[in-house]
Amino acid sequence: MQPRPIALKILDVVSIILLAVSAYLALVFAPTELVMGDVQRVFYFHIGTAWVGLLGFVLAAIAGIAYLATKNMMWDRFEVAAVEVSTVFFFITIALGSIWARPIWGTWWTWDPRLTTAAITELIYVAYFMLRQGIEEPEKRARFGAVYTLLGGLSAPITFMSIRLAQSRTIHPVVIGVQNAEAKGDFGMTPDMRVAFFFALFAFTVVFIDFMWHRLRLANMQEKAEQLKLKASM
Amino acid sequence: MRFARSTYPTPQLIDNMKTPAPSLWKATFAIVRKDLAAEFRSFELVSAMLVFSLLVIIIFNFALELNIEVRKTVNAGVLWATFAFAGTLGLNRSMSVEKDRGCMDGLLLAPVDRSAIFFGKALSNLAFMLVVEAIVLPVYSLLYNVNLLRLDLVGVILLGSIGYTSVGTLLSTMSAQTRTREILLPILLFPVAMPVLLASVKACSGLLAGDAIEDILTPLNLLIVYDVVFIAVAFMVFDYVVEE
Amino acid sequence: MFLQTTPDTSGYMIAGYVLSFLVIGIYVASIYIRNRNLKQDLETLQSLQAEKPKKK
Repeated sequence: MQPRPIALKILDVVSIILLAVSAYLALVFAPTELVMGDVQRVFYFHIGTAWVGLLGFVLAAIAGIAYLATKNMMWDRFEVAAVEVSTVFFFITIALGSIWARPIWGTWWTWDPRLTTAAITELIYVAYFMLRQGIEEPEKRARFGAVYTLLGGLSAPITFMSIRLAQSRTIHPVVIGVQNAEAKGDFGMTPDMRVAFFFALFAFTVVFIDFMWHRLRLANMQEKAEQLKLKASM
Repeated sequence: MRFARSTYPTPQLIDNMKTPAPSLWKATFAIVRKDLAAEFRSFELVSAMLVFSLLVIIIFNFALELNIEVRKTVNAGVLWATFAFAGTLGLNRSMSVEKDRGCMDGLLLAPVDRSAIFFGKALSNLAFMLVVEAIVLPVYSLLYNVNLLRLDLVGVILLGSIGYTSVGTLLSTMSAQTRTREILLPILLFPVAMPVLLASVKACSGLLAGDAIEDILTPLNLLIVYDVVFIAVAFMVFDYVVEE
Repeated sequence: MFLQTTPDTSGYMIAGYVLSFLVIGIYVASIYIRNRNLKQDLETLQSLQAEKPKKK
């Protein structure tokens, strides 16, 4: 159909460059953490993907509300794009955390509030796709999807709160803000680490926008194909 | 932005509207009465949930080797896992019956506010779950020699069941209209209802360990917050999942 | 708790970054493939559309 717009082409190139620079900063530029060694470098992408993952889930819930209020299918396509891209990024977050935890905590997984909430959140959005798959009418699919993202967006923070309050101990490090005295694998960031950290946040935000754009174009094309199919069958 | 929109009668229905539409409460209780009357005739839903619950308890008995030592810590967990599984069974059935026999269309055509349908279904689902719990609790007490028939414990279980059935009613209304139906409900419901299960288990196990009410205020407050938030949200969005 | 020497955990680091880029790569590929298939579908549909009026 329409060729990729110039702006998107530029964004593609910029995303690749930013991702490469971010990887360079994380792998080479940032100093090696003394206690944990090289595995600490996983942290930069862990935070980057976590940030865009959560951003996407929040955007999806907002898009869900917007869809219910306006019944404009554009919001539905935006919601699907946000959930799909975020699910991919959030999977990377969980996998990276698990890889980091193996040498630092001595286990791939532990039922810490953040880990448990992350797993449940990821499952909510997998369920979201299973729900959509089971519905044929696009309009109903959009309505149910919007309702479910809304429920998921409300439930995930409450889940986090309930686990956090129920078990006061957590071993997940908090690098920004209040440090957690019981955290295992905590560290203070040097200025160079901070550069890599904020650059990763920035790079993943741009990559997220790039992916969203592509996914939205895909959804628009799907919409067009569906309309043509409807016309052809008439 | 409007979430809940009241349903106005379509022109064809105006004729049937000689008498004013029943109030929300009257309509709600009419639906509850209908469900309970239907259930009272056959007991198919409650009896299925009940037998299923007992089977789940037996499975747990072997899976966890529930001896005295283990039981002290897992009673609350076993109970809530049982209620959650039996609950999905009941929620699925109660909604797919409406869908299959075309009752849902009838309900939607009735000149009542659609929130009455939500509250009616949620209340009858809650009633079924409470009946099952009312039988499971004494049986469990008997089987495992613990006293579960305590007012504080029953209160916590009531709060948990309210939250579980309100979200469950909304989600089962959705899942009943999909291609995958029965399989989908637990997948949709469990992750979203996780806070309820968590807080209920925490509060119940606290009570069973001999804690006073003051010690379990945190999970108790969470339960109340969840109940209020999710009843409100489910009520607001219910219109969107029954729209045809 | 504090180790004298920094442990060598580079294996985990490499695994982490390989996995990240792998997942991102798979996702990009999936968007690309879906895009390509849709384009083919659209072309077929449009050619069908063009044929239809002739039959009338």
